[in-house]
Amino acid sequence: MEGVTPPPAATPLVDEKRDLQLDAQVGGKLDGKLDERGVHAAEVPWAIVVWNDPVNLQSYVAWVFRRHFALDQPTAHQLMMQVHTAGRATLAHGNREHMERHTEAMHEYGLWATVEKAPR
Amino acid sequence: MKIVAVPSHALGPGNVGSDGSIGGIGSIGSIVVEPDEARVLVSLSQQMQSLLADALETDADTDAGTETDTAVQRLLPNAYRDDPELADEWRRFSRRGLIERKIGFARTLTTALTPVAAGDAEGTVSLTTDAALDWVRGIGDLRLVIADRMGTVVDGDDARAGEPGLQDLYELLAWMQDGLVQLLEAADDAALEAAP
Repeated sequence: MEGVTPPPAATPLVDEKRDLQLDAQVGGKLDGKLDERGVHAAEVPWAIVVWNDPVNLQSYVAWVFRRHFALDQPTAHQLMMQVHTAGRATLAHGNREHMERHTEAMHEYGLWATVEKAPR
Repeated sequence: MKIVAVPSHALGPGNVGSDGSIGGIGSIGSIVVEPDEARVLVSLSQQMQSLLADALETDADTDAGTETDTAVQRLLPNAYRDDPELADEWRRFSRRGLIERKIGFARTLTTALTPVAAGDAEGTVSLTTDAALDWVRGIGDLRLVIADRMGTVVDGDDARAGEPGLQDLYELLAWMQDGLVQLLEAADDAALEAAP
C-alpha cells in the first residue's frame, strides 16, 4: 500500500532505516534545511485529523483506517472509537504534502478529514 | 438483496494480484440484486453523477471556496478549518480529481446494475476488490447525500428524518456498506495470510 504511515498518537514517528537512507542521499547538502535528529510525533508540524460524522458506519470507518493507514485491527478500532466518542482523532503526523495526500484519500472514502498544525 | 462472499479457502494465493491485493484479478464475492432495487440504485447513482458533474462546472475558488450545496460540502469537505488560503490552494489542486474519482465510483454502480434494472429477474453482480472498493465508496457517498437531504446532523438524529422511503433507502445502503466492508476485510485478511 502506498503512503504507509507509522502508528499515530504516542508512538514515536521514527523510521530509522528510512532516515539513514535519506541522510545518505542528502549527504549533508541540505544542511540546516533537514532536521537531522530522529523526529518524534510531537515535533512533526502537521497532522491529519478525522472528525466524527453521524453517517458512516463504525465498521466502515475502522476498516478505512485499517486499510489506508496499515493499522492492525485493535488500533484501527480504538481510533474509530476515539473519533466516535471524542469527536476527532489524529491519524498521522508528518509533512504537509503527506498529510494532504492522506486527507484526499479520506475524502475519497467519504470521511471528514482535515489537515492541521500539530500542537508543539 | 444478498451479498455473498467467496469462501476464504477460495481466496488463496492463486488469486493474489501483482500488488499483493486479493481479487484484483478475481472475484471476492457477489451481490444479488432484485430489478426494483437495481433501478433505485441506478437512479441514485445517476443523480450522484449529475450532482458531481454540476459541482465540476462551478468554480469553487470563488465565494471563498465554499461549496453552495450542503451535500457537496460534505462530499468535498474543507481540508483546512482555520486557514482559508491553504484551503483554497488545496481545493485548486485536489478538487477536480476528487470529483472525477467520485463520479467514477457512481459510474461503476450504474454500469453494473443497469442490466439488472432492465430485466425482470434478480441479477448477480460479481465483485473484484477494485469493483468492491468503488461500490463501498459510491454507496458511502450516496448515504452522505441522503443524510444531508434528510437533515441528519448529530449521531442518533436519523430517527427524526423525513420521508419514510428515504429512510428505508438509507438503511438499505447502510446494510450494503457493512456487507461490502466484510467482503473487503475477508479479502484483506486472506491477502495477509497469503503474503510471504
